[in-house]
Order: sequence, then C-alpha cells, then structure tokens
Amino acid sequence: MSATFPWLSASILFPIAASLLVPFIPDQGEGKQVRWYALVIALVTFLITVGAYLKGYNPAEEGLQLSERVNWLPSLGLSWSVGVDGLSMPLILLTSFITALAVLAAWPVSYKPKLFFFLLLAMDGGQIAVFAVQDMLLFFLAWELELLPVYLLLAIWGGKKRQYAATKFILYTAGSSVFILLAALAMGFAGEGLPNFEYTHLAQQGFSTGFQVLCYVGLLIAFGVKLPIVPLHTWLPDAHGEATAPVHMLLAGILLKMGGYALLRFNAQLLPEAHAQFAPLLIVLGVVNIIYAALTSFAQRNLKRKIAYSSISHMGFVLIGIGSFSALGTSGAMLQMISHGLIGASLFFLVGATYDRTRTLQLEEMGGIGQKMRIMFALWTVCCLASLALPGMSGFVSELMVFAGFATDEAYTLPFRVVMASLAAVGVILTPIYLLSMLREIFFGRENNELVSKRNLVDAEPREIYIISCLLVPIIGIGLYPRLMTDSYKVSIEALVERDLLAMENLNKFSIPNGSEVSLTPALITAPLIVPSKAPNS
Amino acid sequence: MPSAAEIAWLIPVLPLFGALITGLALISFNRSINRLRKPVAISLVSCVGLSAAISYAVLAEQLSGGPPVEHLFVWASAGSFTLPMGYLIDPLGAVMLALVTTIALLVMIYSHGYMAHDKGYVRFFTYLALFSSSMLGLIVSPNLLEIYVFWELVGMCSYLLVGFWYDRDGAAHAAQKAFVVNRVGDFGLLLGILGLFWATQSFDFQGIADGLANAIASGTVPTWAALTLCLLVFMGPMAKSAQFPLHVWLPDAMEGPTPISALIHAATMVAAGVFLVARLEPLYSQFPSVGFVIALVGTITCFLGASIALTQMDLKKGLAYSTVSQLGYMMLAMGCGAPVAGMFHLVTHAFFKAMLFLGSGSVIHAMEDVVGHEPVLAQDMRLMGGLRKKMPITSITFLIGCIAISGIPPLAGFWSKDEILGNAFNTFPALWFIGFLTAGMTAFYMFRLYFLTFEGEFRGGDKELQLVLLSAAGKDEDEEADHQEAELHESPWSMTYPLIALAIPSVLIGFLGAPWNSRFAFLLNPAEALEMANSFSWGEFLPLAAASVAISTAGIALSVFAYYLNRINLNKLIVQRFPSINSFLANKWYLDLINEKIFVKGSRKLAREVLEVDAKVVDGVVNLTGLLTLGSGEGLKYFETGRAQFYALIVFGGVIALVALFGVFGGS
Repeated sequence: MSATFPWLSASILFPIAASLLVPFIPDQGEGKQVRWYALVIALVTFLITVGAYLKGYNPAEEGLQLSERVNWLPSLGLSWSVGVDGLSMPLILLTSFITALAVLAAWPVSYKPKLFFFLLLAMDGGQIAVFAVQDMLLFFLAWELELLPVYLLLAIWGGKKRQYAATKFILYTAGSSVFILLAALAMGFAGEGLPNFEYTHLAQQGFSTGFQVLCYVGLLIAFGVKLPIVPLHTWLPDAHGEATAPVHMLLAGILLKMGGYALLRFNAQLLPEAHAQFAPLLIVLGVVNIIYAALTSFAQRNLKRKIAYSSISHMGFVLIGIGSFSALGTSGAMLQMISHGLIGASLFFLVGATYDRTRTLQLEEMGGIGQKMRIMFALWTVCCLASLALPGMSGFVSELMVFAGFATDEAYTLPFRVVMASLAAVGVILTPIYLLSMLREIFFGRENNELVSKRNLVDAEPREIYIISCLLVPIIGIGLYPRLMTDSYKVSIEALVERDLLAMENLNKFSIPNGSEVSLTPALITAPLIVPSKAPNS
Repeated sequence: MPSAAEIAWLIPVLPLFGALITGLALISFNRSINRLRKPVAISLVSCVGLSAAISYAVLAEQLSGGPPVEHLFVWASAGSFTLPMGYLIDPLGAVMLALVTTIALLVMIYSHGYMAHDKGYVRFFTYLALFSSSMLGLIVSPNLLEIYVFWELVGMCSYLLVGFWYDRDGAAHAAQKAFVVNRVGDFGLLLGILGLFWATQSFDFQGIADGLANAIASGTVPTWAALTLCLLVFMGPMAKSAQFPLHVWLPDAMEGPTPISALIHAATMVAAGVFLVARLEPLYSQFPSVGFVIALVGTITCFLGASIALTQMDLKKGLAYSTVSQLGYMMLAMGCGAPVAGMFHLVTHAFFKAMLFLGSGSVIHAMEDVVGHEPVLAQDMRLMGGLRKKMPITSITFLIGCIAISGIPPLAGFWSKDEILGNAFNTFPALWFIGFLTAGMTAFYMFRLYFLTFEGEFRGGDKELQLVLLSAAGKDEDEEADHQEAELHESPWSMTYPLIALAIPSVLIGFLGAPWNSRFAFLLNPAEALEMANSFSWGEFLPLAAASVAISTAGIALSVFAYYLNRINLNKLIVQRFPSINSFLANKWYLDLINEKIFVKGSRKLAREVLEVDAKVVDGVVNLTGLLTLGSGEGLKYFETGRAQFYALIVFGGVIALVALFGVFGGS
C-alpha cells in the first residue's frame, strides 16, 4: 500500500474532514473532551506526514515525489495536483509537528473550545496543502483558505486590540494575495492551448525576462507581506501582539515560513531570470530586516511584540539565503525557516505561559521572577540562547550556512559582499543585546514586590516542560548534526540553485568557471529597461 | 589497547555527558536532585577526573614523541562545500588539556567547600562540568569553525556562571555585558573566518596559512585584504582575552562566584584568546605588521591593567585587573613572534592566578561570616587586615602567588615573564620598556593586596566604615545581620587542599622553561627550542633578568614601606598632589563611562528612534490607508460591532462549499 497510498491527500483532507466532526463531539462546553479529540487528530496527521516521509519520500531524488493528480476543472485548467520535493517535505513535517504541539498548548482554552479546535484542525490541513500542492491556482486557494481560520483565531481569542489586529492581518494578507492570483492567471494563461497552472508546466515555459519581472514583483509583494519583509511587516507585531499562545506558535512557526517557501518555489524556481535581477535587492532587504527589526525589538517594551520583531529579524537571513545564488546559502535559508519555526514557536509558547502567570506583558512590570519560577527561567534561557544562534542549536547552523554561502559566492562583487556581510553580522551583536536584556528584565534582579504579591507565580507544569522539550529535541539535534535535516532537501536545493545560475548565465551576466568579474545591479535599476521592450511569451 | 590520543574525543564528551544528565534531571525532578548534592558532585567530579586522566595520558604520549592525531567527519555539506568537524591532538593541545582539566578538577573540589551553603549547589556543578566540556572541546578543535563553535559555548557558560546569583542586579548586568562585549569580538572573528574561507576555501589552521600565502602570491587576494582578515580574526581573542579596549567585561565578571573567577576568568577561558593566536601562528607569522598590532594591543592592555590595579580596593577586582595585565603580557609575546613564551606564561599564570583567586575566595568566605554576604563589604580590603594569624594556609599560598607573579626567581612567574620580556627586548624595545615598567607595578600592587589583606590589624568590626562603604555603593544596610558574631577561621580542607596543590606548580613549574634547556619549548616546537638553547648566553640573559628582578624588588620594597611598615604615606605623597591621576586610575581610565555614554545609551536611543519611525511612519501610512478605505464605505460598521467574525465565517463556509461543489460536479 505504501506506493499507492495517497499520503499527501490524506494528510491534507484527514484533518479537514475530522475538523468537520468537531461540532458533534459530546462536550460540556469547557473543552475537556474536544481537546483530546483534536490532539488525537493532530497526532494522526503528524504520523501520516511522517509516514509520507519515511515510506514515500526519497531524499536523494531530485524531482517531484508522491505525486497525485486528479483533473478537477479542466476548462479552468485546475487540477488537484499534490506532490513533494525537498523544498516542501521538511516544511510539511514542521507544520504537522508544530500544529500537534499547538493543540497541546491550547489545553487551557475554555472559551468556545469547539470552534477553537475546529479552526486549528482546519488550519492544519490548509497549511499542509499550501506546501504540498503543485498547481498554482490550487496554491492560491489553499493560501486564502488558511487565512480565514487565522483571522478568526485572532479576532475571537486575542488580546484587547484583537479586532484591530485581526482586521489589519486580513486586509494586509488578503490584499496582497491578489497579486498571487494575478500572477497565477498571467502565468497559467501565458502558454498556448488550455490554461495550465501546474508548477512543472510553468517551469518549462521559458517566459521572457520582462514578463518574469512583472510576475516577480507581484509575487514579491505578496510573499513579502507574509515573510514579512520590512516595510510590509506592520501587521505582524499587531497580530502577534494580540494572539494567544497556540495561535502564536502557528503564526511564527508556520505562517511566516509560507512566505519563505513561496519565494523559493515561485520567485526563485519558476522565475529564475527575474530572480537573477532581483536577488541583490533581496540581500539588501534581508540586511534591512535583520538590523531594523533587531533595533525595534530592542526598544520594544511589550514582551510579545519584542519577540514578534525578533522573528522579523531572523527572517532576514532567509532572504539573504534565497538571494545568495549558492547551494550553501539557499540551504541555509531553508534550514533557517525550519529552525526559526521551532525556536519561534518555543519562544512564543513561553511568552504565553509566562503571561498566564504574570498577567502582564510589560517588561517594567516584571522583574526577579526567576526566583519563583526556576524551571521556567531555565527554559527561557535555553530558548533565548537558541534564538541568538548559540552553537549546538539549529539557529547557529542556519545562520552560519547563510553567511558562508553568501560570503563565498562569486555572483556578487567583493565590495557588495563585504558591506552586506558586515552589516548582517551586526545582527550577531544586536540579537544578544535585546534577548539578554529581556531575560534580565524578566527574571534577574530583585523580585518585583508588586507583581509577587498580586500573582501566584507557579513554576512550569509538566505539560509545558513537555512541549518545550519536544521543540528542543530537533533544535539541538539539528544543531549537533545538521545533516539530519539538510540531507533531506540537499538535492532539490542544488537543482534549484543550478537553475538560477543557468538563468544568470543566460542573462550574460555570469560566467560559470570563474565569475569574479560579475556584477549584479539591483533590478530596480535595470528592470525598467527590460520590461517595456519585451512582451510575454506566447 | 588504543592509544590515548585515539580516545581523546572522550575528554570533552565525558563532562558534557555528566552535565546533560544532571541538567535534564534538574529540569525534570528539581527538588529531589537538589537534595542529592554529594552523589551529583561526586559523579560530575569523576567525569572531569576521567577526562583529566585521559589528558595526562595524552600529554605523556606527546612528551614521548607521539605523532599528532587528527580525526574528521563531514558535519554539514551543501553544493561543493563541506564543513568538517573532529578533533586534533598535538603538543600544544595536549598541554592545554592537561592544564585545563587539572585546574577544573581542583576548582570543583574547592567549590564543594565554597558553595556548601548555596541553594544552587547542584546547578553550579552542572555549569562547571558544562564549561569544562566546552573549554576542552575548544582545545581539541582542528579548525577555526569548530573553535568558533566552542568559543561561543564557553562564552555562554561564562554568561550563565557570572549571572549565577541571578537575584543580584550587579550579576545580571555583568553577565549580559560579558556576553555582549564578547559578541562584539565574535563579530570580527566570524567575519574573519568567513573571509579567510572565501580566500582559501579552508577552515584548517595550516590550510588557511598556506592558502593565504598562495593567494597573495598569485594575486587573487590583495595584501591589504589579507591584513584586514587577520586583524578581524584577532578581534575574537581581543574580546575573549580581555585586551584593550574590549577588556571592560572582565572586571565586572567578578560578580560571579569566586571559583568561577579562578577557573574561567583567570586560568582557562580568558586564555583561550591567547591559545587561538598560538594556533594561528602559521598565519600570523606571515605578517609582521599584524604581529606589531598584536604586540601593541598587548602592551597597552598590560600597562592599563596594572595601572588600574594600583588603586583597586576590592580584592577580587584587584586580581581581575592583574589578570588583564598578565593577559597583555601573553599577547605581547604572541605579537613578538614568540608563541612558546606566551604559552609558557599562560601555563604558569594559570597555576598561580588560579591559586590567588581561590585564596581570595577563601578570604571572602571567611569575611562573609563577619560582615555578611554583601560583596561590597566582604570583598573590600579596607575591612580586612591581619588575616594571616587566623588563616595561615591561605595567607602562605597567597604570598607564594604574589612572589610568583612579581617575577622573583626561582618561582614560576619569573621564568615565563622574563622570556617574554627578553623576546620583546629583541623585537620591539619600546614595548619592552613599558612591559618592564609594568613588572614593577605588578610587584607593587600584588604586595599591596597581600599586606592590606593579611597584615596589620583586622578592621572588619568597624561598623561606621561599613556604612560608609555601603552608602558609597548605593546599597541599603544589610538586612540579615545574623553573621556578625562569628569568628574569622581558616577554610575547610576542601578549600585549602586545592590551594596547596596549586602552590606546588606555582613554585616549581618555571624550571620546565628555563631558557638554556626549555623542556616546554622542546615539546611545543623542538626546532625553536634547539635554536633557543644554542643561542642562549648568560651575558644576554643575566642583565635583563637582573633588571626585571630589580624593578620587581623595588616595587615590593615600596609596597613594604607603604603598607607594612607604614613609613610612606602614599595618600599624602601622590594622591593629594596629583588628584587627577588618582581619579583617572580609580575611574578605570573612564572607559566604562565612555562605554556607557556612547554605546549603551547610544544604542538605546537609536533603537527607540527606529521604533518611533516604525510606529509613526511605516505603520502610520498603513493605518491611514486603512482608515480612508474603511471610513468611506459601510465596512467600518462590521468591524466595529464584532460581526466581522461572523462575516468571515460565512466567507469561509462559502469557500468550503464551493470547493465541495467543484469536487462533486467539476471532476472529470
């Protein structure tokens, strides 16, 4: 059965179908039964994805695997087409893993639990679908489908300003995803004959550079909102600032990664020539992300928003990696997504757990709580160290790979590399400043008497320790031996980079053997010259 | 039976294993583990002890001429790049392994006594084992990248241990400062490593040196770039080994428990920078100008540390600045192209400085019984005095340490410091002169510490002075004044035994490096040792040695007159005549102030401004657009009444229904 079992469709449809049964679960209204149901479903989904990885996925193979294809609306060119390669398989595993932990993190939810768990499970399927589908129109549908649960989760269970945050989130992401639809339609209808939106088909089209640049810009905006790229990021601190811990884990752990994945999948893979034009811009934006968000995080006094900004800062490395034109750097970007998925989720979970006890997120209202909450203090310390890229944990490996990949990459001129790498390395100094200051203000020093007298600061309970341990095992595992993860997508990334390099060569800007003469000017400068001269391929 | 070098990977792994198990147990069963103090301590000490045993075997093997051993595996790979990891055993590493395990072991035994009443006893031992593991890993690293990995890990352990007493504000700030300042150095180190990798495609020490030489010869890498890369890499050692201007974290790091000051912030981790420069000897020896920069930085540090130590009233801070100064000597040796001399001073210094710090810990431990746990009181020498009668072992070992560090023959410090000064004299005479002056200052301030602490009358009972000191430090009166009645007493055996054990090498180890027959040099670099022995002449050695002994004696004599016999009143003689010099030194050259003003306040201000821009400008545009669009239509009504959820649910349901419909009717 292993060869023919529809692993991917199962992992998408099972949680969605199961979520539809949630209303029929007998429950007293406090969520005591339905949460077990949700946990079982999420775990089964995780097992299905693990099964897909172990049984059907071969990391040494380059192309699409586990493909399933059913024609759906032939007249529209829409087909149910799913499959995985190295870009998507690790992220699918990450999704089902984080969702299962998020369900566990949502254990205390008692307000409308049925709706909450229904949305979590629906999201699980929707997010897996985003990574698994191989058809751009389908991708758009999945992308949109997953927005609504997030919107509701924010708007119903969030903090005081939840309406504002949720509205901002939906306007931002839904608005920007119009570009996905436009680009998808343009690319799908570009060829002769029936429209076809499948990635494999689009990849063979050989669009003209001008057309590619147009699509690229649209997609960059759409995915740039999601990742997010400064200055398209302002929805994130609001959304993250208001979300509850489980939603938070999903937002940071998975949703941001959809942006990075889509950039790799569409911008880098399907539009390689435009990518060659835009890559320097990505590097610059990545550096801006790192420094800008690190500074805002340092100044931020609200704990959740602080961590939210730190997420933005970490995503900068993904951008640099994607723009690096080296297998090492791109591989590092991929690893950074997985690594931040795990570390971000753990930090946000801890924020939630701390908030449950202190009932405040303002740093000046905390202080010295490490004396009452020692285990919590230890868990925080480990996760912060992971986040500031301490060796032995995954963040270090991914940032190092991005740095090394970019620094040794002959596609860029030496001065550009020197300046960008130095600026990005400033992040290495800034990250510990804000993270350790935060730790100091929460846990170190004398106890804040006002807080201690008002709140019962109990230490971490076993469930919380368990969730963090589950996240730390892969974080440390990857940190000690990164090939655990990198080997699973190595081939795909190498093929992708090969393709991009070839495209760059086609642009006559790069000679493979010894490319030290190459210089890439950002597309903002060159692109307008190219766009008007050529029409889309027909 | 496999050779010791073949199982050398166990040396860092054993303590790591112990630390991991205890750490996990601490998180899972906090209470019960905290009750099992002795078993935990014994098992962790035996982990480090086993590592020590293997290290000695490795050293013995290298001494008998065993070949260097290197084992690598591919740690990460992508495209055509591979990042290897593994371990390397060579004479330099073997010496460091033996040194670190010895001192770590003694400090652990000492900690059993020192931390006996601390709530965090088990946690402390766990951190100690973790640190030992990271430090040993750093030593066996075969390439720059792996060094960087462990470099960061020892930095983390230092952070955890400096902030060990996390309820103290001072400790919290010091821990953070230590980590961040070290990250500034790591910033350079990381960029340097990346740049060298770009230039040479290698992380390996020899590979980098050869690759860079080739690249310069073939013109692919310009010389200025190579120099920049070398200096960038040197930023790492500058931070870790507390070289000017990145030394500011080390004195603050004394907020940690005293055994930590001895192990990490005097003997081992801070020497890692010197060790790395020694490892990079093949690279640095190609660039004399880089050597000069290193020597210059070392000399400045050496002088700066000693000058600040002159006025310190805190016993531990005095020792801390002395460490800064001695690290400067080591760097000076490295810059003079004499890594063997620098390494030798590292080894001798590790023994006597660890002993001095542990001795100061013993003093503080005793003082705490009299004046309470407030470090402002327990560590201030104005409250000490006359401790020799009550603490004979501590005072004798401390005196030995003072003589050793002052460079009086035949104790250890004389041989190693003299070798450095001799090298400096031949390479950079001007720098030699500063180093020579500093030797006099060293002798003076060390004996000042000794006399103030152990001789004269005990001043700890002076309540008025205590209040003055407390208010000067901005602290309230100590609430728990329950220790006041206790007597001064010598520390328990677990603390005095390590002191005695360290006193022996402090006296004797210098002979291993006697310039006419340096066994130390024969181990590290036989060719250089042979040359050294051949070119050795009494005519050259004696005048220099006599000069340094003379200036040290002068320093000691001044100290005797000023603090023991009370014949000279330095306060009248110097402080009142040159108040600016005194305040310059007492304020540590104003470097902390400058740091605070420019970097700390500056970065905070910048961050606040960026956040302001983010909230007002970037987000402002978004909100404005949002308001305009919403306000113009009926949409606002929905979003404000909370019906939006309902609305969204309908959309969601609609999409699902559509998908289902397509699925049923649209399929082929």
